[in-house]
Amino acid sequence: MAEFVPVSKVSELPDPGKMVVEVEDRLVALFHVSGTFWAIDDVCTHDGGPLADGTLTDHIIACPRHGAKFDIRTGKVLTMPATRDTVAHEVKVEGDDVLVKLNEE
Amino acid sequence: MIGTTVQTGFTREAFDAFVDSRREPPWLVAQRREAWQAFERLPLPNGGMEEWRRTDIRMFRFSRFGLPSPPTAGTASPAALLAEDVELAGRTATLDSHPLYGELGSKWAERGVLFGSLDDLAIEREDVVRPNLFTRAVDPLADKFSALHAACWSGGTLLYVPRGVVIDEPLHMLSGLSPDGADLGHTLVVLEEGAEATLLAETASLDPAASGLHAGAIEILMAPRARLRYVNLQNWGTGVWHFAHQKALVDRDGSLQWTIGALGSRLAKVNQHVALVGEGAEAQVNGVMFTEGKQHLSYHTLQHHAVPHCRSDLLYKGALQDRSQLVWRGMIHVDRDALKTDAYQRDDNLILSDTARVDSIPGLEILADDVRCSHGATAGRVDDEQVFYACSRGLTRKEAIRMIVAGFFQQVFDRITIPSVRDALGDAIRRRVREYT
Repeated sequence: MAEFVPVSKVSELPDPGKMVVEVEDRLVALFHVSGTFWAIDDVCTHDGGPLADGTLTDHIIACPRHGAKFDIRTGKVLTMPATRDTVAHEVKVEGDDVLVKLNEE
Repeated sequence: MIGTTVQTGFTREAFDAFVDSRREPPWLVAQRREAWQAFERLPLPNGGMEEWRRTDIRMFRFSRFGLPSPPTAGTASPAALLAEDVELAGRTATLDSHPLYGELGSKWAERGVLFGSLDDLAIEREDVVRPNLFTRAVDPLADKFSALHAACWSGGTLLYVPRGVVIDEPLHMLSGLSPDGADLGHTLVVLEEGAEATLLAETASLDPAASGLHAGAIEILMAPRARLRYVNLQNWGTGVWHFAHQKALVDRDGSLQWTIGALGSRLAKVNQHVALVGEGAEAQVNGVMFTEGKQHLSYHTLQHHAVPHCRSDLLYKGALQDRSQLVWRGMIHVDRDALKTDAYQRDDNLILSDTARVDSIPGLEILADDVRCSHGATAGRVDDEQVFYACSRGLTRKEAIRMIVAGFFQQVFDRITIPSVRDALGDAIRRRVREYT
């Protein structure tokens, strides 16, 4: 079973902001928007490209390759060319630590 | 007991100590140092490069590995699949890039055949190795991994067959990895005019899930009328990073049958390149891939027709289950003067789960105006109607899918003329196929 693992300090990620973190051999895009942290797989389901390099607008990240958009809160796909959701992970803040727990699906 | 690898990292100090410890001739030391400078200079490939955009290596860290250290005395090599019940002309094995044993039948040694450790033969037989090592086939500067390999290779194997010598029994080579180990083995095959040989090469890990690194290269240099059957089975454990550059040059009226099996590794990025450089040369390339779990295998093939009247025929077949991924980018390149070229490439894929992914991308670059070149690529699921039909004849769903998968691969197995290879690949795939609803 996956557990919460510390990935960053609250103070390391501006609001709004995004970064890529490693969690148990997996790359996760971590976002900080309006005081809350969110995490999704750093993989566009369209062609496997990295998402976190894209443009963040409110709670929407656009893939830098072809413009597919995902909701960072749920991983839900919002526009073509991607058609499948990406995976959203659990995030919590303890003190100055941001922790992520992987969600397999 | 499994040998432990001391992780010194790929540092300048470790490299200098490595070179100093080997007492190699100046030409080889110079070659290594030039490659090391390129390794330091070249960037780690990234998704912004077309060849790497589908292969994400951001989780790979050179610092987690280091130059191979010798295995503990008495460590056994992993089991070999391809050599069962086969009468061999010779065999070699390495573990973590260190030779374990090397044997060649005396009747072949007497006829001038060389088969054994490249480490030793590079020193003893400069006349054979120097003109062929990183000179005509693999480019050490192709990328950071090829540069690392050219700088730090060890534990390689040389096969040299003199003019007119026909070896009618297969030779076998096994490369093993221990947990967290590194393999930087180099394979050099040199066939002189009219020589013939069959070489079976395979890789394996002592621990099927442990991490490891392979940064390797294969160079095959065939003089006119030489014939080679070469089988290369990549069967590392599922924690291994596999980076390889492989190139064959086939000269006039030469014939190469090159079969690749790809079952293992966590992530593989392979460049397989066949160049037909003498009229009448022909190459048949066969590929059998099976991926599962989160494996990612990326194969980039090039059939380069440099002169007229050559034939090349590539057939890759892949099956995927779980969340695994296969990438194939194939190119047929025909030079302006390579008239009457006959080239074909085909990549078929069978997707066994909803979450597997395949990218199959054939390509043609034809500069000549009188050629026959064609290609095809397919990707599809197991046909539900075929499964239903098989079940209606009394088979379980799992039996039906296994039968359909076996049938899918039969076309490429029919081209593999070595029974032990066909059996080993067939068995390995049969064992892996799981039931899907």
